[in-house]
Order: sequence, then structure tokens, then C-alpha cells
Amino acid sequence: MLSPYRVLDCTNARGLLCGQMLADLGADVIAVEPPGGSPARRLGPFADDVVDPDRSLVWWSYARNKRSITLDLERPEGRDIFRRLAASAHFVIESDDPGVMPARDLGPAALDPSLVYVSITPWGQTGPKAHWADSDLILLAAGGPLVLTGDDDRPPVRLPVPQAYLHASADAAVGALIAHHERQRSGRGQHVDVSAQQSVAQATQSYILCAALGAPEVRRTAGGLKNGPLTLRLLFPASDGHVAITFLFGSAIGPFSRRLMEYLYEQGACDAATRDKNWLEYTQLLLSGAEPLEEFERVKRVVESFTRSRTKAELLAAAVARGLVMAPVATLDEVVASPQLAARDYWQPMAHSDIGRSVTYPGPFAKFSATPLRWRRRPPTVGEHNAEVYAELGLDVAELERRGVV
Amino acid sequence: MQALDDVKVLDFMWVMAGPTATRVLADYGAQVVRIESTRRIDTARTLAPYHGGVPGPESSGIFQNLNVGKRMLTLDPSRPEGREVVLDLVRWADVVTESFSPKAMRGFGLGYDALRAVKPDVIMLSSCLMGQTGPLASFAGYGNLAAAISGFSNLGGWPDRPPAGPFSAYTDYVSPRYITAAILAALEYRRRTGCGQHIDLSQAEASIHFLGPALLDYTVNGRVAGRVGNRDRDLAPHGVYPAAGTDRWVAIAVDGDAQWRALCDAMEQPALAGDTRFVTAADRHANADALDAAVAAWTAGRDMHDVEVLLQARGIAASAVQNSGELVVDPQLLHRGHFQQIPHPVHGTTTIETSRFHLSRTPAHITGPAPTYGQDTNAILTDVLGYDDDRITALVTAGVLE
Repeated sequence: MLSPYRVLDCTNARGLLCGQMLADLGADVIAVEPPGGSPARRLGPFADDVVDPDRSLVWWSYARNKRSITLDLERPEGRDIFRRLAASAHFVIESDDPGVMPARDLGPAALDPSLVYVSITPWGQTGPKAHWADSDLILLAAGGPLVLTGDDDRPPVRLPVPQAYLHASADAAVGALIAHHERQRSGRGQHVDVSAQQSVAQATQSYILCAALGAPEVRRTAGGLKNGPLTLRLLFPASDGHVAITFLFGSAIGPFSRRLMEYLYEQGACDAATRDKNWLEYTQLLLSGAEPLEEFERVKRVVESFTRSRTKAELLAAAVARGLVMAPVATLDEVVASPQLAARDYWQPMAHSDIGRSVTYPGPFAKFSATPLRWRRRPPTVGEHNAEVYAELGLDVAELERRGVV
Repeated sequence: MQALDDVKVLDFMWVMAGPTATRVLADYGAQVVRIESTRRIDTARTLAPYHGGVPGPESSGIFQNLNVGKRMLTLDPSRPEGREVVLDLVRWADVVTESFSPKAMRGFGLGYDALRAVKPDVIMLSSCLMGQTGPLASFAGYGNLAAAISGFSNLGGWPDRPPAGPFSAYTDYVSPRYITAAILAALEYRRRTGCGQHIDLSQAEASIHFLGPALLDYTVNGRVAGRVGNRDRDLAPHGVYPAAGTDRWVAIAVDGDAQWRALCDAMEQPALAGDTRFVTAADRHANADALDAAVAAWTAGRDMHDVEVLLQARGIAASAVQNSGELVVDPQLLHRGHFQQIPHPVHGTTTIETSRFHLSRTPAHITGPAPTYGQDTNAILTDVLGYDDDRITALVTAGVLE
């Protein structure tokens, strides 16, 4: 879909996913790496645990379908070559701290105004924290999701796979495509300025608005949330792991909870009185005191003792058969073994000539009927396409290498 | 001119992920007409946070936040007369989006083939939990289930405890970006070729990309990731430490030996900098419990904002763990205009989040609050479809506009 377009992807570890989304959609994305390779290549885990810039699984995860060149943007000659490359490009993506690219005279104002120029930064281009230090954990703390996650008797906790810059980079891809759409009519590019702090706020499920709306703060509890006096629980034990249940109430989700309790009753796990509670108005009954909070605690224990007696597979089968909102908490080996994903040919093998074997990758993020996404290129090694790309510019890569520019 | 003011979207999506995606289109000028049936209330209207903490169909802050700038037609698409109205809107639209379980649109006689019959170049995007095909295609549910089944929920938390998971319906916050990008790419392709298409987007499949490195660690190295609390592969100290007050915390992430020494200096504990347990990153990882205890002993009793400012002044990444009360006055978010107060027909004013990214020349623009029930039905039938009063009266009489 984006095959006529070229993207110069100068991002460090912060911005890799943006270029990959455009590459997956068909664009010619050229990763412009400093000599020695992108700093993202220093991030583990590594293939076969061999620490090597060409074996970083972070790089592999987010550099598929890209080409790679090396270019020293600290040197004037490297910057000149970058400008020549930019003249052939439609998008530039970068994720340096604010001011770094302009100081190289490679900021949006210094390049062709028809470029869509995308900047991914922790806090945005300007503002009182624009130059604050950052990390995944720090952005999750500053943007709102962190306070909502974790056990209530321990510190808030993040996911072990960094998420903040994935949210930001995915937003950046959307922003780039909006600017591109507009450019088709105006002929003009613009600057897309992405703040990871704002992007991660998406993961607060709008609870970031509690104070502004005069609603009570929601508080964390493992596998659920505390809303006012209510402790809502969404994760339960199974005999072989855990299951997720959307055990919530109200006119929309309440009917699912009623079906769940009907199932428990049929299985001999609860009495008729428990089954027949008013699940549609259960929240209001709890808040008004008509239903004691201790009774809700008992109900959750009833659900828990039932799910604990069943396997994840049994519970999923019941959910599918009965239309329950209940799903297994999968470990990553179970995710890879999923029959559903296999039936949809999700996992994609890619030949890695660089390590002499095939590697299984997550597949297309969507199935397009007319333009299926293709995994065309494995993640490139450092500067793998120097000769190819510089030849396209009419440059002699051997000469550039001799001068240390690439 | 707005960036997307030439894009028309007929939007059957509901709850969280889908409306989040089309909200972005509306922010940048797309005309988005949502269909809602009173027989099947949008679940988001039943979700907190509520204005003043009180539930009500026009009181949900999340419904508001995900639907500003859209117009809403109240309609029952399962009725033959309702289907005819929908097909007229399909002729108007560039893009049709839906997030029902896979059989629903076909059940209404509104599957892709039916849409294409009246609008050959239509772009239809179907988003559901597990995708339109496969043994779990009919498995419907919410983002907390997709988060569980695609591997996120098991990973958040502590190694000695059951999973805590990411917050609530996590994949509902991941997949919208892929939905919006898919729509925009399909529009680009249609512009060049004249071809529309059907896009089948599984929330689980899209979101799995956010676990890429851990999944490759399994497919390449055979290692199955588990819960590790706040430990990081590279950074140490790296954690969330207690601050003054009840349940108040400050996050600190130290990158490298020089930053560790800078932290010891900030803590005014030179002995710690010389402590042989903590000299290199490998030392600090090996003695992480003692390291965390030393940092926590210093942060405890200190104001979380004082700690972040003190450490940031030395180039150390730190932040108060902010709740909504702190976020709404966060100077950086205020500088970015992250929150906006807008008029609301029921509550007087309401507060929403603005676009998460900024475009320099064609910025996002919030045109108005999320629609109340049936608010725009007459206007859409009249202005968009050109129906006359008799036809609208007939639809009302037949009970189709409910």
C-alpha cells in the first residue's frame, strides 16, 4: 500500500516500531544507523544469548522489512549525504532528544518542506520536562498507567517487556499517515511531534480523567481494580494457571456475569440465590449498601473455588460454548502454540541466512484482502544495504568506508 | 483545512478499541457517523469514570473521551428498513468500520460483499478479539480477555505472586493504533488504484507485536518469560520506591555506573558509592534486593516530587508515580494541552484528552462533545442522506430509529 514511498528511519531504541509499521505496510524504510549500528542493537535478549549487534531480539522484533545503512551524522560529510537521501524520501523519523537533529542542521526546518518529519521523544519537543531523563518505567509513572498496576500491598509494577515507546511509536505511525494523507492535497509536509508520556496515557482507560470529572481515584489491586469501595477482580486461578473473566456488572456486561453464574449453578458450584442476584444493577446495589460488600467478597470466592477446580482449556471451552467472557491467561509458549493463531497462519518463518536457520516471527497485524502484508526482508545486519543504497545515490561505498563516513 | 476532512467514516464500532481508533480520525477532521442501537447500548456508556462518580448513560467519562467529534445515528440495523438506511450511508462513506463478533454484520445482511455491491470501492475494517476466521472467531469479549490470551496478563506482577497483569483491558489500548494505520494505508491504496478492500484485524494478533522481544526469546532461545516485578535487564537500580504519604511512590531508573555514583551523591551517601556490592551493573544486579532496600530507605519519607526534581537535576531518570489528580496539573501535560474542557449538554462542561501527538500545520481540532443518544439522527438523515420529512416519519413510525 505504501510501496511508492521511502522512509528514512533514524530512530534509536525509542522509535523502531514506527518505521516497522510503515515497512510492513509496504514502504521502503531505510534504517539510518550510526557506524557500528543502532543503540537498539545493544538491547537484549540476544539470539542464542550471543551478545552481538546483529543478534538483538529487540532489533529483530522491530526492524523487519527495513533496509540498513550506516552513516555518521556527527560529521558534516555524513549530513550532506543524509540531505541527499532525504531528497529522495517522503518521510523522516527520528527519536533523538529535542534539539539534537536541528543542531545537526537536519531538523524539520532544514529539510525539504514536503517531507513528513516525525519526532518521537519522551515528553514532546518543548515544555518544562522536555529535557528530563526518561526510561520505560519513568514514562509509565509520569503518564498514568503505572499507578494502576500491581498488588495493593507492594509497589506499582510494570510489564517486563518495555511498552512506553511502542505506544509512542505506534502513535507516530498514525500521525505520519495522517500528515501524508493531507500532503496528497496540499503538497506540503509537516512535523509530527509525539510525546511518549501522552501516548502511554492511553493505557489508563480514561481513568486519567477521574480528578477532572470529580470521580474517585481508581486504585490498583492484582488482576483487577479498586473503584471506590469496590474491589473488582478480573483474574482468577485455574487448576493449571489462571483465567481472565470480565466479572463486571451493569446493563451491558451484567448479562455475561449472569450467564457465568448460571454456568456455576449448573456445575454445582453455587446456589440458586447466588445465581439469581441482580447482576445488571449489582454495582448500584453494592454502592447503596443493599448488597453488603462482604457478600460480594463471598461471591468472588465462589467463582474462585470453581475456576480453581477446572483447567484453562475446560474454562475456555465453556466460554466458547456458552458465550462467557472468560479466557485463559496464556504463557508465551502457549501463545505460540495457539490453535487459533495456527489456523490463521499467523506465525511467519523467516530465513536468517545470517545465523543459518529459520526464525518464527509474529505475523501481519491485520489481514488485508487486496494487499496482504508481506514479511519481505528479515531484519538487516548493520549496514547490510550500504552498497545497494549508496549506489542508488551514485555514491561509491568503498570510498565512503575509506573516509569513515559509513 | 483539516488533514482528513475529505474522509467519511460509517462507524459501527463500540466499547473501547474501535471508538479509540475512529476518535483519532475525527480529531483530524474526518466525518465520523456512528451507529448505535438502543437495543444494544454501547458498553462504554456503562463504564467508569463517571461525572461526579455517579453512573448514568450520559455520564461516562470514557464514552465521552472516545467519542468526541463524532455524530451518532440511533438505528436498528437488524430491521430491513434500518438496513436500507445503512446502505445509503455506505454509499456516502469511504470507510465502514465494525467491531461486532464476526457473524453479526453478515446477520444484518451487511457483510463486505453486501457493502461492495452498493459501493464497489468501499474500505471495510472489521476488528474483533480473535479475527474473522479460525476456531475462536466467534469468541467475543473485552480487551482484558485478549490481553490474557495473547500473553500480556501473565507477565505483569511479582514472581512469588499470581499475575497482576497490565491494567484492565490492555489490548484495547494497543490495537487502536493498528486499526487507524490500517485504515489510512487502505485509503492511500484506494487513492492510487481505485480499489477498496476488507481488513480483518484481530485485536490479539495486532497486540502481540508489543511482546515481540519476549516472543522471539521463546521462538529463538526457547526461554519463556515470567514475572520479574520491576527488575530490568540492563538498568539497576530500577524500581518503584516508597515516598512520603499513603501509597505514594517514586520510580527511579539508573543507567550505568556514573549515574549510580550520581545517585549516591544525591542521596548524600558516599559510602554506598564505594560499596563493593554495587560498583558495576553486574554487581548491582547480583545484589538487587540490598540495592533496592538502600534506595527505598532514602526515598521513604521524602516527597515524591522532591525526589524526582532532585534526581532529574543530576540527569537521573525519575518520576513521581502520578495519579489522575497529579496528572491533571502535570506541568508538561499542561504545556502540551493534554486536557481540554469542552461544553457538555448534560453536565455543562466535561474534560477530555486531546490528540496524543501534534501535527505542526494541521493540528487536531475537537469539534464538540460526544453525542447524546439520538442527538444527530434527524440531522444525519436530512443533511447527509437527503431524506424528506415523510420518509423520516415513516422510519420513526416503524420503530427503526431506536
